[in-house]
Amino acid sequence: MLYPEIVITGCGNPLFADDGFGPAVIEELRRIDLPDNVKAIDAGLGGPHFVFTLLDPAVTRRLIIVDTVDFGGKPGQLARFSADDLPPGSYRDAHSWDLTEPLQRLKDKMEITVIGCQPGRVAEFEIGLSDEVRSAVPLAVREVLALIGVDYGTTLENLRKEEHQRAAGGEARGGHWCGEEG
Amino acid sequence: MSKIVEISPTTRHEGHSKLVLKVDDAGIIERGDWLSITPVRGVEKLAIGKTMDQVPKIASRVCGICPIAHTLAGIEAMEGSIRCEIPKDAKLLRIILQAANRLHSIALHNILILPDFYLPGTDTKINPFSPQEPVRSVAKRIVRLREIGQTIGEIAGGEAVHPSNPRVGGMYKACTKQAVTKMYDLAKEGLVLAREQMEFMLAVINNMKKRDWVEVGGKQIPLPKTLGYHDQGYMAVHPMYGTSNLDENPTWDPNRWTDVRPWDWYMGEGEVSLADPSYPIGGTSPVGTKVNPQMEACTGVPLYDGAPVEVGPRARLVRFKNFDEKGTWGQHIARQLEYTDCCYTILNALDEYNPSGKVVADKIPQGDGSLGWAANEAPRGTDVHLAKVKDGRVLYYEMLVPTTWNFPTCSRALTGAPWQVAELVVRGYDPCVSCATHMIVIDQDRKVIAQKLIQ
Repeated sequence: MLYPEIVITGCGNPLFADDGFGPAVIEELRRIDLPDNVKAIDAGLGGPHFVFTLLDPAVTRRLIIVDTVDFGGKPGQLARFSADDLPPGSYRDAHSWDLTEPLQRLKDKMEITVIGCQPGRVAEFEIGLSDEVRSAVPLAVREVLALIGVDYGTTLENLRKEEHQRAAGGEARGGHWCGEEG
Repeated sequence: MSKIVEISPTTRHEGHSKLVLKVDDAGIIERGDWLSITPVRGVEKLAIGKTMDQVPKIASRVCGICPIAHTLAGIEAMEGSIRCEIPKDAKLLRIILQAANRLHSIALHNILILPDFYLPGTDTKINPFSPQEPVRSVAKRIVRLREIGQTIGEIAGGEAVHPSNPRVGGMYKACTKQAVTKMYDLAKEGLVLAREQMEFMLAVINNMKKRDWVEVGGKQIPLPKTLGYHDQGYMAVHPMYGTSNLDENPTWDPNRWTDVRPWDWYMGEGEVSLADPSYPIGGTSPVGTKVNPQMEACTGVPLYDGAPVEVGPRARLVRFKNFDEKGTWGQHIARQLEYTDCCYTILNALDEYNPSGKVVADKIPQGDGSLGWAANEAPRGTDVHLAKVKDGRVLYYEMLVPTTWNFPTCSRALTGAPWQVAELVVRGYDPCVSCATHMIVIDQDRKVIAQKLIQ
């Protein structure tokens, strides 16, 4: 089967500075041991053609798209969208097979989440993400892991739990360490 | 007196292009200019100083649809420069990847062109997304063919979209016996489907050849029997794969290639004087719109032996299989005839492939700055990359991609057709105008959707 139960696609072009955010997140995800029902794909610019139109809703239940999204935020800021937040025509290119059309076809058949990063610069031919967007990559990775229910102790929720525990006096953490040492 | 009509952007293909058409009083094209408005790639400059391993990966990103051809042509141009012969089993894996990609690409193109065609014996245009039979079964077959192409490509190439397995000097990984069996089974399944799909498409195209008119924007437009004819030459280097300067008898010659500036080729300044708001997808440009293809065209004009040439499936069949169908329908027919070739190529390569064989060259030279080149027969036509590598670094890089070759030829092929069918001619070339950046814009006001913020 080409695409399994959970598909994560990084969309964008690394030749155009921050537009390479999606592929950069996939590169990081590939360093992680993902479950067998998850596939992380560097879709480049071919997401609509190579991935979205080939998904079988009987197999793929969840699609996570990582891409740059111009929502007017600060560079590097992340936001989460659903297919309903992407109205027809919201894809800026005039490609006649736009991003939204296949997503509109799929949205009632599988769960679609877009993790969007506000780009700082999408220059003409510049390799490499801006510092702001580069620093958003680990956060996006954590967000993806949280969405697919993989917790290696690095999800935001987990980290916040730890922060909360530390803020509560460090007893839990200290106790844990004590226990191990004992 | 001539009028000017502009169709911008053209649709159902990859990248941005437009048509500027000079037409007579009856709306027949006297001169057509089809031009890219995708920003200039610039990758050739970007490549300078990078390592020979980096550049093919960079090149694969210039296009959202043909990363495989660009990866292979880029790598083989480097190997051509450093004079590195790769092991036979590595070459076989590349051939499998190439054929799998072409299988996928033909099926994808079927989806893009079917809305131009009619169900044979009816005046009903084909909607490939229709849930009705027989179109439903055709669409399912197309999807399966694309899955088969992509899956074989992923096994041989590492990834289906941006293949990670090919490298300068061969391939990173060999395919196991199990992987070979999987690819073999898929190719056998694909062969049956490819033949069925080819026969369906040929029936649809031959039916179109008999029609006198097509409906465009609610109007019946006469269909010339010579749609898309031109008197330019054909260029193809191999029926399926390609050639490079390392071949004993290369089938492409860099000395026969020259480049002309858009300024010297396209028509000059003008103003739209004919508009049709009923033309599909938003109408043509309004009267008074300024046009200047000389300035707007974003690609040089490559010539072979001093003239434009057609590249692509028909050029391959003309050069290697005595194919003689002309015009737009001839192009479509040629493309369908390549369907089964893709599957046979994969099966034959798998028969020859040895899973225990070597896939990386023993020694990978670092280059002395000599010119190397590779011409890869991408789905849409000859994709030529030229490189000079010295001490592992790229000194010079050039890409002559299929649609760039086809722009001037297709422009000539527009003459004599009613302007409303110009896009039919363009789509016959399966243009891949090359991608620029893309970005989702949430709404016109770019409002922050605060509650959706992750941070």
